This record gives sequence, C-alpha cells and structure tokens, in this order.
Amino acid sequence: MKRWGCPAVLAAFCLLAAEMAAAHSPVFDCFNGEDGQITCEGGFSDGTSATGVRVRVLDANEKVLLEGKIDADGRFTFKKPPVDFHLIFDAGAGHTVTLFGADIS
Amino acid sequence: MNSRCFATRHAWFALFAFLVAAPAGAHFQLIYTPEPALKVGGPLQMLLVFTHPFEAGHTMDMAMPAEFYVVSQRGKEARPQRTDLKKHLQEIQWTSLTNVGRAYEAQLPKGIVRSLGDYVFVLVPTPYYEGSEEKFIQQFTKMVLNVGGLPGNWADPVGLPAEIVPLNKPYANWVGGVFSGVVLADGKPAPHAELEIGYVNHEPNLSQRRFEPQARASAPQDSFVNLSIRTNDRGEFTIGLPKAGWWGICALGVGPQSQYQGKPLSQDAVLWVKATDMQ
Repeated sequence: MKRWGCPAVLAAFCLLAAEMAAAHSPVFDCFNGEDGQITCEGGFSDGTSATGVRVRVLDANEKVLLEGKIDADGRFTFKKPPVDFHLIFDAGAGHTVTLFGADIS
Repeated sequence: MNSRCFATRHAWFALFAFLVAAPAGAHFQLIYTPEPALKVGGPLQMLLVFTHPFEAGHTMDMAMPAEFYVVSQRGKEARPQRTDLKKHLQEIQWTSLTNVGRAYEAQLPKGIVRSLGDYVFVLVPTPYYEGSEEKFIQQFTKMVLNVGGLPGNWADPVGLPAEIVPLNKPYANWVGGVFSGVVLADGKPAPHAELEIGYVNHEPNLSQRRFEPQARASAPQDSFVNLSIRTNDRGEFTIGLPKAGWWGICALGVGPQSQYQGKPLSQDAVLWVKATDMQ
C-alpha cells in the first residue's frame, strides 16, 4: 500500500490544483442595443477571455431558438426574439450562467 | 555640511515648520461617485472637487481640468480603450462646511459605462495656485470602477507623470483589509515618497452639491486628520482600511515638473479606494 502513498498525494495535489485553476467564476451580462439587437458580454472573474464559449438562446419550453459563441471581442450579439426567452452561457460544468430576457435592460 | 547634518541640525525647525504647514496640506482632488463596484452599467454621475475631505473643509476653486478621460478594458486580454470625458463636464458651485468653491460634475450617458470590465477614470487638473504656500498644486487623480466583476486594466499604469498604481483592486476591498500600491514618478517607482491618506468623512450630497454636515469619524489629534506614511525602497506602500467609505492616497510632489508660471509646482498623484463593510 505504501508505494501508492506518493501517487495518492500527487493525485490529491492535482485535484487541488485543478480546483484552484477553476476558482474563477463566469461573468455574463447582456444589454439592449440598437435595432432590436441584444449584445451579450462574457468573461471570467479573473479576467481571462471567454472567446469560443457557447451561448444558447431558449424559449420558455427550453427549445433552442438560436445559438452562437462568444467572439474574439468577448461578445455575442443576436436579434431579440419576439417571445419570452432566456440565455445560457455555457463554459462547462459549474460554469454556466442563465440570464432571463426580462432582466435585460 | 552634508544634507543629513543639515537635516539633523534643523530637525526642530523642520518639525515646527511641519506643524505649521500641516493644516494647509492635505488637499485632495476627488473623483467621486457613490459606488465603484457596479453590478450593471448605466448612466453615472461624477463629482470633481478639490477639497479637504476629512473636515469637509475649505474647497478650492478648480479651473477647467486639462484632461478628464476614462481608460476601460473588458477582460485582461482585451485592448484598453480611452474615451475623452471633458465634454461632459459642467461647472458647479460646491458647498463645504466652511465655504463655497468652484467644482465640476459630469453626467455620463449610459453608453460610456455599460460594458463589463474596469474603468480607470483619470483627471489631470489645471495647476491650482495655493496662495498661503506660494506654490501651485497639480494632483493627477485616478478612480477605478468596475462593472459586473469582470476585471481588466485596474493594475495597469495609464502613463501619468505622477501616478499611483494599485496592487489590489481599488473597488473591491473589505473593511479591515489592507490596500497596497506603487507610486510612480515619471513611470518609475518612487522610493521613500511622502504619502498622505485621507478619508471622505462627510458624505458628498450630489443632488444638493454639498457635503453632509455629519461626520462619520472624529480625529483625536491633528495627526489623524490625514495619516502620513512613506513608500518603501521599491516605491510600494500598504495602508489599512478601518472604516467603510472612500479612502484617498496622495503622493506628494513626485512628478517631474517643479515649476509653473515662475512659482514652485507640486505634482502629486492621487488614487481613490473604496472599503466596503463585510455583511
């Protein structure tokens, strides 16, 4: 058993390191722009970029109305749907943010 | 006679001069807005007033600032964006507890502070002539605001001749914590620089353009009105934040220019830090 002690400690350290690396939290917000467009901005609380993170726009029945990705400028812009909707900024497990259309100003 | 010997021989005189001069010091250029850590952006009201914030005392007449702008950045990898704000400035009369002085306010439309990220507000005042000291004072002042918790350029210098660069986010500090920064003189760390620490002890009432008369704290002795510290040999400093509200840090005379219109000029650097109660 003893020879596993070291890898076990290593594994624990790796888990801890992974946990620490994930200590940032997702930041996501949207606002009404011009011409019925909504602009969303995403990132992480440590300032790292969210470029490429998937954003889904869903209706009240969880049907996907449209989806896209955060661009190189940290933004995702789409035309405001005519129905009630919400958005999911999906940066992986534990890193999702849901925002409701009614809360967008 | 070397300067150290001179200093020793004149220590008592220097102490006396300091005590006499102290009440005239402690000018602080404010860039004030009630809350620098915003959940969402929007229209913003800002106040620029040159005053003695602990006492809400004598407010100096400001001239139209040489520059007033914001450098914003959304995320660490984004590029900083500079927006001139001078066109939003409006001259006002600000009432202190002892006088009325000329100040400026800015009503910023919602488009300026809307995106997530950091906003470093920068004020370069026109030098102010302090008649009682027969010198000009110019305080390069920064106030850092954040929207939504996405950081950006809060730790980056903007390139002022006299500048305090924060080592902690100036908008996210608990009461009881400490705050550190580096004083830069012409872009280089300023060792052993003299700092004054001020506290906005009277709430600025923006709608009535005056300080609230009620003080939050009282000083048991004059040394506490503005605390004095020095930077270390790397130009760094650390202060405590014992009470909620705005704390001002002013590095005296660190800028390179020492004359203006034939008189001595003190180019100071000011940074504002907000402490928030942990609840």
